Amino acid sequence: MPVTYKKIASVTVGAGGAASIDLTSIPATYTDIHCVFSIRGSQAQVYQQLQITFNNTTTGYSQRNLYGDGSTAVSNSLSGNHFFTDGVGANATVSTFGNGSIYVPNYAGSTNKSASLDLVTENNATLAYTQLYALLWSNTAAITSLKITAGSGTLNQHSTAVLYGISKS
Amino acid sequence: MIGNIVAAITDGGEAATDFESIATVTVGAGGSANIEFTSIPSTFQHLQIRYLGRGTFNGGDVEVHMQINSDTGSNYTRHFIYGDGSTAGAGSATSQTKIVLNDVPAATSTSGIFGTTVMDILDYTNTNKNKTVRALIGRDKNGSGVLLLSSFLWSSTSAITSIKIFPSANNFAQYSHFALYGIKG
Amino acid sequence: MPKTYEPIATTTLGSSATEINFTSISGSFTDLILVGRFSSTTLIFGGMNLRFNSDSGSNYSYTLLEGTGSAASSARASNTTAMEMGYNGTNDAGQNIIIQIQNYSNTTTNKTAISRYNSPAGQVMSYVGLWRNTAAITSIRFAVNNQALATGSTFTLYGIKAE
Repeated sequence: MPVTYKKIASVTVGAGGAASIDLTSIPATYTDIHCVFSIRGSQAQVYQQLQITFNNTTTGYSQRNLYGDGSTAVSNSLSGNHFFTDGVGANATVSTFGNGSIYVPNYAGSTNKSASLDLVTENNATLAYTQLYALLWSNTAAITSLKITAGSGTLNQHSTAVLYGISKS
Repeated sequence: MIGNIVAAITDGGEAATDFESIATVTVGAGGSANIEFTSIPSTFQHLQIRYLGRGTFNGGDVEVHMQINSDTGSNYTRHFIYGDGSTAGAGSATSQTKIVLNDVPAATSTSGIFGTTVMDILDYTNTNKNKTVRALIGRDKNGSGVLLLSSFLWSSTSAITSIKIFPSANNFAQYSHFALYGIKG
Repeated sequence: MPKTYEPIATTTLGSSATEINFTSISGSFTDLILVGRFSSTTLIFGGMNLRFNSDSGSNYSYTLLEGTGSAASSARASNTTAMEMGYNGTNDAGQNIIIQIQNYSNTTTNKTAISRYNSPAGQVMSYVGLWRNTAAITSIRFAVNNQALATGSTFTLYGIKAE
Protein backbone atom coordinates (compact mmCIF):
# COMPACT_ATOMS: atom_id res chain seq x y z
CA MET A 1 0.00 0.00 0.00
CA PRO A 2 1.42 3.44 -0.88
CA VAL A 3 2.43 5.71 1.95
CA THR A 4 -0.50 7.94 2.89
CA TYR A 5 1.13 10.82 4.74
CA LYS A 6 4.64 11.43 3.46
CA LYS A 7 7.10 14.30 3.55
CA ILE A 8 7.77 15.68 0.09
CA ALA A 9 10.04 18.63 0.87
CA SER A 10 11.41 20.60 3.78
CA VAL A 11 13.18 23.96 4.12
CA THR A 12 14.92 25.52 7.10
CA VAL A 13 16.13 29.09 6.73
CA GLY A 14 19.81 29.47 7.53
CA ALA A 15 21.92 32.23 8.99
CA GLY A 16 21.29 35.57 7.36
CA GLY A 17 17.67 34.86 6.63
CA ALA A 18 15.97 34.42 3.29
CA ALA A 19 13.58 36.33 1.08
CA SER A 20 11.38 33.30 0.69
CA ILE A 21 10.86 29.60 1.31
CA ASP A 22 10.31 27.72 -1.92
CA LEU A 23 9.00 24.16 -1.96
CA THR A 24 9.52 22.90 -5.49
CA SER A 25 9.27 19.82 -7.67
CA ILE A 26 6.02 18.70 -6.09
CA PRO A 27 5.12 15.42 -7.78
CA ALA A 28 1.59 14.84 -9.02
CA THR A 29 1.40 11.42 -7.40
CA TYR A 30 -0.50 12.38 -4.22
CA THR A 31 -4.10 13.42 -3.72
CA ASP A 32 -3.73 16.32 -1.31
CA ILE A 33 -0.81 18.36 -0.06
CA HIS A 34 -0.39 19.73 3.43
CA CYS A 35 2.23 22.33 4.30
CA VAL A 36 3.00 23.26 7.89
CA PHE A 37 5.23 26.23 8.58
CA SER A 38 6.84 28.01 11.51
CA ILE A 39 8.04 31.45 10.44
CA ARG A 40 9.31 34.68 11.87
CA GLY A 41 10.30 37.71 9.79
CA SER A 42 12.29 40.90 10.06
CA GLN A 43 9.45 43.36 9.39
CA ALA A 44 9.51 45.98 12.16
CA GLN A 45 6.02 45.17 13.38
CA VAL A 46 4.44 42.62 15.67
CA TYR A 47 3.31 40.97 12.44
CA GLN A 48 5.18 39.99 9.29
CA GLN A 49 3.32 40.16 6.00
CA LEU A 50 3.62 36.86 4.17
CA GLN A 51 2.81 36.24 0.53
CA ILE A 52 1.95 32.73 -0.65
CA THR A 53 2.05 31.73 -4.29
CA PHE A 54 1.73 28.57 -6.36
CA ASN A 55 3.90 27.76 -9.36
CA ASN A 56 5.54 31.21 -9.21
CA THR A 57 2.46 32.74 -10.79
CA THR A 58 1.31 36.27 -10.05
CA THR A 59 -2.37 36.21 -10.99
CA GLY A 60 -5.59 34.55 -9.92
CA TYR A 61 -5.44 34.75 -6.11
CA SER A 62 -8.51 35.51 -4.03
CA GLN A 63 -9.39 34.87 -0.42
CA ARG A 64 -11.92 35.24 2.37
CA ASN A 65 -10.41 36.05 5.75
CA LEU A 66 -11.53 35.67 9.34
CA TYR A 67 -9.20 36.60 12.14
CA GLY A 68 -8.88 37.71 15.71
CA ASP A 69 -6.33 40.28 16.81
CA GLY A 70 -6.46 39.54 20.49
CA SER A 71 -9.51 41.67 21.12
CA THR A 72 -11.74 41.81 18.03
CA ALA A 73 -12.97 39.36 15.40
CA VAL A 74 -12.73 40.70 11.85
CA SER A 75 -13.62 39.41 8.39
CA ASN A 76 -12.54 40.79 5.04
CA SER A 77 -11.65 39.64 1.55
CA LEU A 78 -8.71 40.24 -0.74
CA SER A 79 -7.54 39.44 -4.23
CA GLY A 80 -4.34 40.06 -6.09
CA ASN A 81 -1.11 38.58 -7.29
CA HIS A 82 -0.57 36.38 -4.23
CA PHE A 83 -2.31 35.20 -1.07
CA PHE A 84 -1.92 37.60 1.84
CA THR A 85 -1.43 36.55 5.43
CA ASP A 86 0.37 37.71 8.57
CA GLY A 87 3.12 35.90 10.45
CA VAL A 88 5.29 36.91 13.38
CA GLY A 89 7.37 40.07 12.94
CA ALA A 90 10.47 41.52 14.58
CA ASN A 91 8.61 43.41 17.30
CA ALA A 92 6.92 40.29 18.69
CA THR A 93 8.29 38.46 21.73
CA VAL A 94 11.81 37.28 20.98
CA SER A 95 12.40 33.73 19.72
CA THR A 96 8.71 33.41 18.89
CA PHE A 97 7.56 32.01 15.58
CA GLY A 98 4.14 31.49 14.03
CA ASN A 99 2.34 28.18 13.44
CA GLY A 100 0.56 27.68 10.13
CA SER A 101 -1.10 24.99 8.05
CA ILE A 102 -2.16 25.05 4.40
CA TYR A 103 -4.17 22.10 3.12
CA VAL A 104 -4.83 21.81 -0.61
CA PRO A 105 -7.18 18.99 -1.62
CA ASN A 106 -6.86 17.66 -5.15
CA TYR A 107 -3.82 19.86 -5.83
CA ALA A 108 -2.97 18.06 -9.08
CA GLY A 109 -6.49 17.99 -10.48
CA SER A 110 -7.78 19.91 -13.46
CA THR A 111 -9.95 22.39 -11.55
CA ASN A 112 -9.09 25.69 -9.92
CA LYS A 113 -7.26 25.17 -6.65
CA SER A 114 -9.07 25.72 -3.39
CA ALA A 115 -7.20 25.65 -0.07
CA SER A 116 -7.67 25.96 3.68
CA LEU A 117 -5.18 28.06 5.64
CA ASP A 118 -5.03 28.40 9.42
CA LEU A 119 -2.23 30.52 10.84
CA VAL A 120 -1.54 31.79 14.33
CA THR A 121 1.05 34.24 15.55
CA GLU A 122 2.06 34.74 19.13
CA ASN A 123 3.34 37.55 21.31
CA ASN A 124 3.30 38.08 25.06
CA ALA A 125 0.89 41.01 24.69
CA THR A 126 -2.68 41.53 23.56
CA LEU A 127 -1.88 41.84 19.86
CA ALA A 128 -1.42 38.58 17.99
CA TYR A 129 -3.42 37.00 15.20
CA THR A 130 -5.51 33.85 15.01
CA GLN A 131 -6.44 33.52 11.36
CA LEU A 132 -8.66 31.35 9.17
CA TYR A 133 -8.60 31.71 5.39
CA ALA A 134 -10.51 30.34 2.44
CA LEU A 135 -8.15 30.51 -0.55
CA LEU A 136 -8.74 30.22 -4.27
CA TRP A 137 -6.08 30.09 -6.97
CA SER A 138 -7.97 30.45 -10.25
CA ASN A 139 -5.69 28.23 -12.24
CA THR A 140 -6.36 24.68 -13.43
CA ALA A 141 -2.71 23.65 -13.53
CA ALA A 142 -1.39 21.09 -11.10
CA ILE A 143 0.50 22.69 -8.24
CA THR A 144 4.20 21.98 -8.65
CA SER A 145 5.62 24.53 -6.25
CA LEU A 146 4.58 26.54 -3.21
CA LYS A 147 6.42 29.66 -2.12
CA ILE A 148 6.16 31.71 1.06
CA THR A 149 7.72 35.15 0.66
CA ALA A 150 8.32 37.94 3.12
CA GLY A 151 6.17 40.88 2.08
CA SER A 152 8.69 43.15 3.73
CA GLY A 153 12.18 42.37 4.93
CA THR A 154 13.22 38.73 5.15
CA LEU A 155 12.30 35.44 6.80
CA ASN A 156 14.44 34.78 9.85
CA GLN A 157 16.90 32.00 10.46
CA HIS A 158 15.21 28.90 11.95
CA SER A 159 11.99 29.51 10.01
CA THR A 160 10.78 26.18 8.65
CA ALA A 161 8.28 24.77 6.20
CA VAL A 162 7.53 21.10 5.58
CA LEU A 163 5.35 19.83 2.77
CA TYR A 164 3.52 16.51 3.01
CA GLY A 165 1.72 14.49 0.38
CA ILE A 166 -1.42 12.59 1.30
CA SER A 167 -2.57 9.71 -0.88
CA LYS A 168 -6.13 8.54 -1.29
CA SER A 169 -5.14 5.00 -2.25
CA MET B 1 -29.20 10.99 -8.08
CA ILE B 2 -27.13 9.56 -5.27
CA GLY B 3 -23.35 9.60 -5.59
CA ASN B 4 -21.09 6.65 -5.83
CA ILE B 5 -21.00 4.13 -3.03
CA VAL B 6 -17.41 3.76 -2.10
CA ALA B 7 -15.35 0.67 -1.49
CA ALA B 8 -14.44 -0.52 1.98
CA ILE B 9 -10.92 -0.87 3.31
CA THR B 10 -8.47 -3.12 1.59
CA ASP B 11 -5.52 -4.38 3.51
CA GLY B 12 -2.45 -4.08 1.33
CA GLY B 13 0.06 -4.69 4.07
CA GLU B 14 2.02 -2.34 6.31
CA ALA B 15 3.63 0.77 4.94
CA ALA B 16 5.66 3.51 6.58
CA THR B 17 4.09 6.94 7.13
CA ASP B 18 5.50 10.19 8.43
CA PHE B 19 2.49 10.55 10.76
CA GLU B 20 2.88 8.16 13.69
CA SER B 21 1.09 7.39 16.93
CA ILE B 22 3.29 7.97 19.99
CA ALA B 23 0.98 7.40 22.96
CA THR B 24 -2.70 7.15 23.86
CA VAL B 25 -4.64 7.46 27.10
CA THR B 26 -8.27 6.49 27.59
CA VAL B 27 -9.65 7.44 30.99
CA GLY B 28 -11.03 4.53 32.97
CA ALA B 29 -13.91 4.10 35.35
CA GLY B 30 -12.36 6.03 38.22
CA GLY B 31 -11.63 9.16 36.21
CA SER B 32 -8.24 10.80 36.03
CA ALA B 33 -6.92 13.98 37.59
CA ASN B 34 -4.59 14.56 34.68
CA ILE B 35 -3.17 13.11 31.51
CA GLU B 36 0.56 13.28 31.07
CA PHE B 37 2.64 12.40 28.06
CA THR B 38 6.18 11.93 29.29
CA SER B 39 9.49 10.96 27.73
CA ILE B 40 8.30 12.36 24.40
CA PRO B 41 10.86 11.22 21.85
CA SER B 42 12.84 13.84 19.98
CA THR B 43 12.76 11.91 16.73
CA PHE B 44 9.89 13.85 15.13
CA GLN B 45 9.67 17.44 13.96
CA HIS B 46 6.08 18.21 14.95
CA LEU B 47 3.50 16.93 17.42
CA GLN B 48 -0.25 16.66 17.15
CA ILE B 49 -2.59 16.02 20.08
CA ARG B 50 -6.18 14.98 19.44
CA TYR B 51 -8.53 14.62 22.35
CA LEU B 52 -12.12 14.14 23.34
CA GLY B 53 -12.72 15.29 26.90
CA ARG B 54 -15.35 15.51 29.61
CA GLY B 55 -14.96 16.37 33.29
CA THR B 56 -16.43 15.11 36.55
CA PHE B 57 -16.72 18.60 38.03
CA ASN B 58 -20.23 19.19 39.37
CA GLY B 59 -21.16 21.83 36.84
CA GLY B 60 -22.02 22.29 33.18
CA ASP B 61 -18.46 22.74 31.95
CA VAL B 62 -14.94 22.64 33.29
CA GLU B 63 -11.85 24.44 32.05
CA VAL B 64 -9.00 22.36 30.65
CA HIS B 65 -5.37 23.36 31.23
CA MET B 66 -2.06 22.30 29.80
CA GLN B 67 1.51 22.65 31.02
CA ILE B 68 4.72 21.78 29.25
CA ASN B 69 7.82 20.22 30.83
CA SER B 70 6.28 20.69 34.29
CA ASP B 71 6.63 24.46 33.91
CA THR B 72 4.28 26.15 36.37
CA GLY B 73 5.75 29.61 35.93
CA SER B 74 4.04 32.59 34.29
CA ASN B 75 5.34 31.57 30.90
CA TYR B 76 2.20 31.02 28.87
CA THR B 77 0.20 33.33 26.62
CA ARG B 78 -3.10 32.74 24.87
CA HIS B 79 -4.95 34.27 21.92
CA PHE B 80 -8.19 33.12 20.35
CA ILE B 81 -11.05 33.85 17.99
CA TYR B 82 -14.33 32.29 18.99
CA GLY B 83 -17.97 31.79 18.17
CA ASP B 84 -20.41 30.93 20.95
CA GLY B 85 -23.50 30.50 18.87
CA SER B 86 -24.50 34.16 18.98
CA THR B 87 -21.33 36.23 19.11
CA ALA B 88 -18.01 36.09 17.27
CA GLY B 89 -15.17 37.61 19.21
CA ALA B 90 -11.52 37.43 20.12
CA GLY B 91 -9.45 37.61 23.24
CA SER B 92 -6.07 37.15 24.83
CA ALA B 93 -4.35 36.50 28.13
CA THR B 94 -0.68 36.99 28.89
CA SER B 95 1.81 35.76 31.49
CA GLN B 96 -0.33 32.83 32.53
CA THR B 97 0.82 29.88 34.65
CA LYS B 98 -0.84 27.39 32.31
CA ILE B 99 -2.37 27.09 28.86
CA VAL B 100 -6.16 27.37 29.00
CA LEU B 101 -7.60 25.07 26.34
CA ASN B 102 -11.18 26.22 26.96
CA ASP B 103 -13.91 24.16 28.56
CA VAL B 104 -15.25 20.66 28.10
CA PRO B 105 -18.67 19.44 29.24
CA ALA B 106 -18.84 18.32 32.86
CA ALA B 107 -21.11 16.34 35.16
CA THR B 108 -24.37 18.23 34.82
CA SER B 109 -24.22 18.35 31.01
CA THR B 110 -26.21 15.71 29.16
CA SER B 111 -24.36 12.44 29.51
CA GLY B 112 -22.15 11.23 26.71
CA ILE B 113 -21.28 14.66 25.34
CA PHE B 114 -17.58 15.49 25.09
CA GLY B 115 -15.53 18.43 23.83
CA THR B 116 -13.01 18.00 21.03
CA THR B 117 -9.60 19.49 20.25
CA VAL B 118 -7.00 19.06 17.54
CA MET B 119 -3.76 20.88 18.31
CA ASP B 120 -0.43 21.13 16.52
CA ILE B 121 2.97 21.99 17.97
CA LEU B 122 5.56 22.66 15.29
CA ASP B 123 9.32 22.30 15.79
CA TYR B 124 8.83 21.05 19.34
CA THR B 125 12.48 20.07 19.77
CA ASN B 126 13.96 23.27 18.34
CA THR B 127 16.04 25.03 21.01
CA ASN B 128 16.10 28.29 19.05
CA LYS B 129 12.35 28.79 19.30
CA ASN B 130 9.74 29.41 21.93
CA LYS B 131 6.91 26.97 21.36
CA THR B 132 3.73 28.05 19.58
CA VAL B 133 0.65 25.84 19.70
CA ARG B 134 -2.25 26.08 17.23
CA ALA B 135 -5.54 24.46 18.28
CA LEU B 136 -9.04 24.05 16.87
CA ILE B 137 -11.32 23.52 19.86
CA GLY B 138 -15.03 22.96 20.12
CA ARG B 139 -17.99 21.60 22.02
CA ASP B 140 -21.66 21.52 21.08
CA LYS B 141 -24.29 20.53 23.65
CA ASN B 142 -27.47 20.88 21.58
CA GLY B 143 -28.37 24.33 22.75
CA SER B 144 -25.02 25.71 23.83
CA GLY B 145 -21.41 25.42 22.85
CA VAL B 146 -18.42 27.25 21.52
CA LEU B 147 -15.84 26.96 18.77
CA LEU B 148 -12.35 28.50 18.85
CA LEU B 149 -9.18 28.77 16.85
CA SER B 150 -6.62 29.33 19.57
CA SER B 151 -2.91 29.95 19.77
CA PHE B 152 -0.69 29.47 22.79
CA LEU B 153 2.86 30.55 23.49
CA TRP B 154 5.17 28.73 25.86
CA SER B 155 8.02 31.16 26.41
CA SER B 156 10.78 28.60 26.57
CA THR B 157 13.24 27.43 23.97
CA SER B 158 13.60 24.03 25.63
CA ALA B 159 12.71 20.96 23.68
CA ILE B 160 9.34 19.61 24.74
CA THR B 161 9.69 16.32 26.61
CA SER B 162 6.43 16.20 28.55
CA ILE B 163 2.90 17.58 28.28
CA LYS B 164 0.31 17.52 31.04
CA ILE B 165 -3.39 18.15 30.41
CA PHE B 166 -5.73 18.52 33.37
CA PRO B 167 -9.11 19.94 34.31
CA SER B 168 -9.27 23.01 36.54
CA ALA B 169 -11.31 21.02 39.07
CA ASN B 170 -11.91 17.35 39.78
CA ASN B 171 -11.10 14.78 37.13
CA PHE B 172 -11.46 13.88 33.51
CA ALA B 173 -14.40 11.54 33.14
CA GLN B 174 -14.33 7.98 31.94
CA TYR B 175 -14.00 7.58 28.15
CA SER B 176 -12.11 10.84 27.75
CA HIS B 177 -9.48 10.02 25.17
CA PHE B 178 -6.12 11.67 24.47
CA ALA B 179 -3.80 10.74 21.62
CA LEU B 180 -0.30 12.06 20.86
CA TYR B 181 1.10 11.79 17.35
CA GLY B 182 4.50 12.60 15.94
CA ILE B 183 5.08 13.95 12.45
CA LYS B 184 8.44 13.52 10.83
CA GLY B 185 10.16 16.32 9.02
CA MET C 1 4.83 -0.40 11.94
CA PRO C 2 1.19 0.62 12.64
CA LYS C 3 -0.73 2.17 9.79
CA THR C 4 -1.47 5.43 11.57
CA TYR C 5 -2.86 7.51 8.72
CA GLU C 6 -4.67 5.64 5.97
CA PRO C 7 -7.12 6.30 3.19
CA ILE C 8 -10.33 4.38 3.70
CA ALA C 9 -12.32 5.27 0.61
CA THR C 10 -12.61 7.90 -2.08
CA THR C 11 -15.07 9.03 -4.71
CA THR C 12 -14.98 11.44 -7.64
CA LEU C 13 -18.33 12.23 -9.19
CA GLY C 14 -18.68 11.33 -12.84
CA SER C 15 -22.00 13.20 -12.93
CA SER C 16 -23.75 15.56 -10.58
CA ALA C 17 -25.22 14.10 -7.43
CA THR C 18 -27.21 15.32 -4.47
CA GLU C 19 -25.15 13.36 -1.97
CA ILE C 20 -22.24 11.02 -1.51
CA ASN C 21 -22.10 8.13 0.89
CA PHE C 22 -19.35 6.24 2.64
CA THR C 23 -20.54 2.87 3.90
CA SER C 24 -19.15 -0.18 5.66
CA ILE C 25 -16.69 1.99 7.57
CA SER C 26 -14.43 -0.25 9.61
CA GLY C 27 -14.17 0.37 13.34
CA SER C 28 -10.43 -0.23 13.36
CA PHE C 29 -9.38 3.44 13.41
CA THR C 30 -9.63 6.06 16.15
CA ASP C 31 -10.61 9.18 14.21
CA LEU C 32 -11.93 9.92 10.74
CA ILE C 33 -11.05 12.82 8.47
CA LEU C 34 -13.30 13.61 5.52
CA VAL C 35 -11.76 15.89 2.89
CA GLY C 36 -13.78 17.30 0.03
CA ARG C 37 -13.03 19.52 -2.93
CA PHE C 38 -16.25 20.37 -4.73
CA SER C 39 -18.50 22.69 -6.65
CA SER C 40 -22.23 22.96 -6.44
CA THR C 41 -24.44 23.21 -9.48
CA THR C 42 -26.80 25.98 -8.56
CA LEU C 43 -26.75 29.35 -6.88
CA ILE C 44 -29.20 28.55 -4.14
CA PHE C 45 -28.13 28.98 -0.55
CA GLY C 46 -27.68 25.73 1.29
CA GLY C 47 -25.94 23.89 4.08
CA MET C 48 -23.44 21.09 3.74
CA ASN C 49 -24.70 18.34 5.96
CA LEU C 50 -23.62 15.06 7.46
CA ARG C 51 -25.81 12.20 8.54
CA PHE C 52 -24.48 9.16 10.27
CA ASN C 53 -25.80 5.62 10.02
CA SER C 54 -28.82 6.81 8.00
CA ASP C 55 -30.18 8.65 11.04
CA SER C 56 -32.58 11.33 9.75
CA GLY C 57 -34.07 12.07 13.16
CA SER C 58 -33.72 15.35 15.03
CA ASN C 59 -30.57 14.10 16.71
CA TYR C 60 -28.00 16.63 15.51
CA SER C 61 -26.85 20.12 16.50
CA TYR C 62 -24.04 22.51 15.66
CA THR C 63 -22.27 25.76 16.51
CA LEU C 64 -20.49 27.79 13.87
CA LEU C 65 -18.04 30.64 13.43
CA GLU C 66 -18.21 32.52 10.14
CA GLY C 67 -16.43 35.22 8.18
CA THR C 68 -18.33 36.52 5.18
CA GLY C 69 -15.63 38.85 3.95
CA SER C 70 -17.29 41.79 5.65
CA ALA C 71 -18.38 40.55 9.06
CA ALA C 72 -17.56 37.89 11.64
CA SER C 73 -20.47 36.10 13.23
CA SER C 74 -21.56 32.98 15.07
CA ALA C 75 -24.73 30.94 15.11
CA ARG C 76 -26.10 27.70 16.43
CA ALA C 77 -28.90 25.23 15.70
CA SER C 78 -30.32 22.47 17.87
CA ASN C 79 -32.35 19.33 17.27
CA THR C 80 -31.64 19.34 13.57
CA THR C 81 -32.05 16.41 11.19
CA ALA C 82 -28.46 16.64 9.96
CA MET C 83 -25.14 18.06 11.17
CA GLU C 84 -24.29 21.17 9.18
CA MET C 85 -20.55 21.44 8.60
CA GLY C 86 -20.50 24.22 5.98
CA TYR C 87 -22.78 26.67 4.22
CA ASN C 88 -22.70 27.85 0.63
CA GLY C 89 -24.09 31.34 0.24
CA THR C 90 -22.90 32.11 -3.26
CA ASN C 91 -21.92 30.62 -6.56
CA ASP C 92 -18.53 29.12 -5.81
CA ALA C 93 -16.81 26.49 -7.90
CA GLY C 94 -13.88 26.36 -5.50
CA GLN C 95 -15.15 24.99 -2.19
CA ASN C 96 -13.33 22.67 0.15
CA ILE C 97 -14.10 21.08 3.47
CA ILE C 98 -12.11 19.18 6.10
CA ILE C 99 -14.16 17.38 8.75
CA GLN C 100 -12.61 15.64 11.75
CA ILE C 101 -14.67 13.04 13.62
CA GLN C 102 -13.05 11.83 16.80
CA ASN C 103 -13.55 8.44 18.46
CA TYR C 104 -16.12 7.56 15.83
CA SER C 105 -16.23 3.88 16.75
CA ASN C 106 -16.66 4.37 20.49
CA THR C 107 -20.00 2.92 21.65
CA THR C 108 -20.30 4.91 24.89
CA THR C 109 -19.97 8.51 23.73
CA ASN C 110 -22.08 10.72 21.53
CA LYS C 111 -20.24 11.76 18.38
CA THR C 112 -18.58 15.15 17.96
CA ALA C 113 -17.14 16.52 14.73
CA ILE C 114 -15.21 19.69 14.00
CA SER C 115 -14.80 21.19 10.55
CA ARG C 116 -13.16 23.84 8.43
CA TYR C 117 -15.22 24.87 5.44
CA ASN C 118 -13.92 27.22 2.78
CA SER C 119 -15.82 29.05 0.07
CA PRO C 120 -13.34 31.64 -1.21
CA ALA C 121 -16.11 33.53 -2.98
CA GLY C 122 -18.44 33.27 -0.02
CA GLN C 123 -17.56 32.32 3.54
CA VAL C 124 -14.70 31.02 5.64
CA MET C 125 -16.15 28.93 8.43
CA SER C 126 -15.55 26.48 11.21
CA TYR C 127 -18.13 24.26 12.89
CA VAL C 128 -18.46 21.93 15.83
CA GLY C 129 -21.31 19.46 15.64
CA LEU C 130 -22.93 16.79 17.81
CA TRP C 131 -24.75 13.60 16.90
CA ARG C 132 -26.65 12.43 19.96
CA ASN C 133 -26.08 8.74 19.48
CA THR C 134 -23.54 6.44 21.08
CA ALA C 135 -23.47 3.98 18.19
CA ALA C 136 -20.26 3.49 16.29
CA ILE C 137 -20.33 5.35 12.99
CA THR C 138 -20.47 2.89 10.12
CA SER C 139 -21.76 5.16 7.36
CA ILE C 140 -21.54 8.84 6.50
CA ARG C 141 -23.76 10.77 4.10
CA PHE C 142 -22.57 14.17 2.87
CA ALA C 143 -25.17 16.25 1.07
CA VAL C 144 -25.88 19.86 0.15
CA ASN C 145 -29.27 21.47 0.67
CA ASN C 146 -31.08 22.86 -2.35
CA GLN C 147 -28.20 22.04 -4.64
CA ALA C 148 -26.26 19.22 -6.22
CA LEU C 149 -22.59 18.39 -6.12
CA ALA C 150 -21.07 19.00 -9.53
CA THR C 151 -19.28 16.53 -11.75
CA GLY C 152 -15.65 16.25 -10.72
CA SER C 153 -16.30 16.87 -7.02
CA THR C 154 -14.03 14.61 -5.02
CA PHE C 155 -14.22 13.30 -1.45
CA THR C 156 -11.77 11.13 0.47
CA LEU C 157 -12.21 9.51 3.86
CA TYR C 158 -9.07 8.94 5.92
CA GLY C 159 -8.60 7.05 9.15
CA ILE C 160 -6.17 7.90 11.95
CA LYS C 161 -5.26 5.14 14.34
CA ALA C 162 -3.90 5.71 17.83
CA GLU C 163 -1.69 2.97 19.19
